[in-house]
Amino acid sequence: MSSKTPTIPLSETYRDITREVARVPLHMPARIPWLIAFILSLALLSLFLASATYLFVRGVGIWGVNIPVNWGFAIFLYVWWLGLGHAGTLISAMLLLMGQDWRNSLNRFAEAMTVCAVICAGMEPILHLGRPWFFYWMFPYPATMGVWPQFRSPLEWDIWAVLTYLIVSILFWYIGLVPDLATVRDRAKKRGWQVFFGIFALGWRGSARHWAVWQKTYRTIAAIAVPLVISVHSEVSLLFAAGQIPGWHSTVFPPYFVLGAAFSGFAVVAMIAIVMRHTFELKDIVTERHLDLLAKVLLAMGLMTAYGYFFEIFDAFYSGEMREIATVHDRFSGYYAWSYWGAVFCNFVPLQALWLDRVRRSPVLLFMISTSVVVGMWLERYMLIVTSLYKDFLPSSFGYYHGSFWDWSTYIGMLGLFMTPFLLFVRFLPSISIFEDKEVLAREKEEAKRG
Amino acid sequence: MAKPLLGFAAEFGTPDALLKATKRARADGFCCIDGFSPFPVEGMSGALALERDHRIGWIAVAGGLFGFVGMLVIQLLTNVDYPIEVGGRPLFAYPAFFVVDFELMILCAVLFAVAGMLIINRLPKLHDPIFNTPRFGLASEDKFFLYIDSSDPKFDPDKTRDYLGSLGALSVEPVQP
Repeated sequence: MSSKTPTIPLSETYRDITREVARVPLHMPARIPWLIAFILSLALLSLFLASATYLFVRGVGIWGVNIPVNWGFAIFLYVWWLGLGHAGTLISAMLLLMGQDWRNSLNRFAEAMTVCAVICAGMEPILHLGRPWFFYWMFPYPATMGVWPQFRSPLEWDIWAVLTYLIVSILFWYIGLVPDLATVRDRAKKRGWQVFFGIFALGWRGSARHWAVWQKTYRTIAAIAVPLVISVHSEVSLLFAAGQIPGWHSTVFPPYFVLGAAFSGFAVVAMIAIVMRHTFELKDIVTERHLDLLAKVLLAMGLMTAYGYFFEIFDAFYSGEMREIATVHDRFSGYYAWSYWGAVFCNFVPLQALWLDRVRRSPVLLFMISTSVVVGMWLERYMLIVTSLYKDFLPSSFGYYHGSFWDWSTYIGMLGLFMTPFLLFVRFLPSISIFEDKEVLAREKEEAKRG
Repeated sequence: MAKPLLGFAAEFGTPDALLKATKRARADGFCCIDGFSPFPVEGMSGALALERDHRIGWIAVAGGLFGFVGMLVIQLLTNVDYPIEVGGRPLFAYPAFFVVDFELMILCAVLFAVAGMLIINRLPKLHDPIFNTPRFGLASEDKFFLYIDSSDPKFDPDKTRDYLGSLGALSVEPVQP
């Protein structure tokens, strides 16, 4: 145990941690890079607004979707965005319950990333509705038409899963943020900041009686959030698996989706951690050990996702179904084989470098591998949707699919919808958990004293 | 006229010192006491005899039950009100209903737990007299405070101050409105 490198260097003091994190909102250290990133993300956001406006005026006909491939970018990106978000909850909730101290430097921005990603994910099916202003028909309200939602349909399950996930993610994030908002409130010198943080800190004063109740609440939500993550992406996979389309109709889908989601999400967390650590000089808080551990989790998730790939093929051949086998052949060597092999390559080949200690501790290499994973998972979601739909049971209904200009502009613009709130969060809120890192430090000091 | 005294806040430098002082104060018969710290200090809830408080857990269970049963009732009633017969499949399809019931169970459990936490802690409460204590701002940085309220039966304006000093406090300050 004593040979273990401490998560937070023992030379740090509680005050150092406060300073390092609280200075980011109060005295922004990297104004220019932040401003450039913010302008870029606002530009992307305007592209998104323009694309969405044009979509609402003209309808989904501006996209590449048609029969037989009637689920395109909007749906596979929905799966992709939601997947990115899952790592945030897993880091926060699962690693909290398992007592993994190293999560405390990562959980806050990972949760914020989750909220931003879930917002994007939620937008996708609404945009795809065709008549998005009627999305509230999904809710059971006493309509004048006398009809109710169809609770036996996975499409109806979807909205409840995403809505629950969004609300729970926001609450979990905010409840964890309150003590830190109080810390920043007490450090703020300007009246405006004091009022801003004061209101959102809810008057938190660090009372032991409050902490006791707060801790129970936080842990309770964490314990509930872990099955929630698994249920949400399992439910997303049922959108596909509940249909009879070859390549979808398989019981391997729920775990396959959940693992792939966590895989891509951990890659995004690693990317954000590396960028923030570099830009805001947080090297004493997000240490090399954090990168090492993130890389190990990423590698493990990747290998489990690879198992899903193997099993998907096995499943098709084991079923003996002609069309299932044909779909596997289409994926290997059909028109969209690039998406399959691209996914296999980007997901699993660079990943293997993470077996090496040196690569895991190198921010640049880890960033590149993570990018490759995010691209790989993007290709995988594309492949899963398109290669299953473009050839179904009847040759007369085969057909190709290409994303149109507006598909791409909506997608690229949506990166702005993701980045804008995230950058605002990084700028105005403590993006690393101050009090939880102090807790780690206190525990480490205790252990060091005992030897 | 002097402002009324609400209690004393004694400052300590380490979580350990706060914990020891709290245990001493409890042992010496003080009961209206509280600790203030920048992070939850391990053992404090034991020292203040709070660990048997399971209200949050039960509130979450109640929320979960409310969400699960509430949604199931909605699903059953909507299917009675407007039955959609599909190929003779059962109208009350519990396995299919379960997904949404489960989500609502989680949603309501979390909403109840959060609301319960805020109500039990009486938050939001943007101002508290203890904020008037000059050094209290450090309670969110690196100092640890033990607070003895004037409503405590053993409280005495002079003796309690000396008592806190004898526990090894770095400073003892009166809390006034």
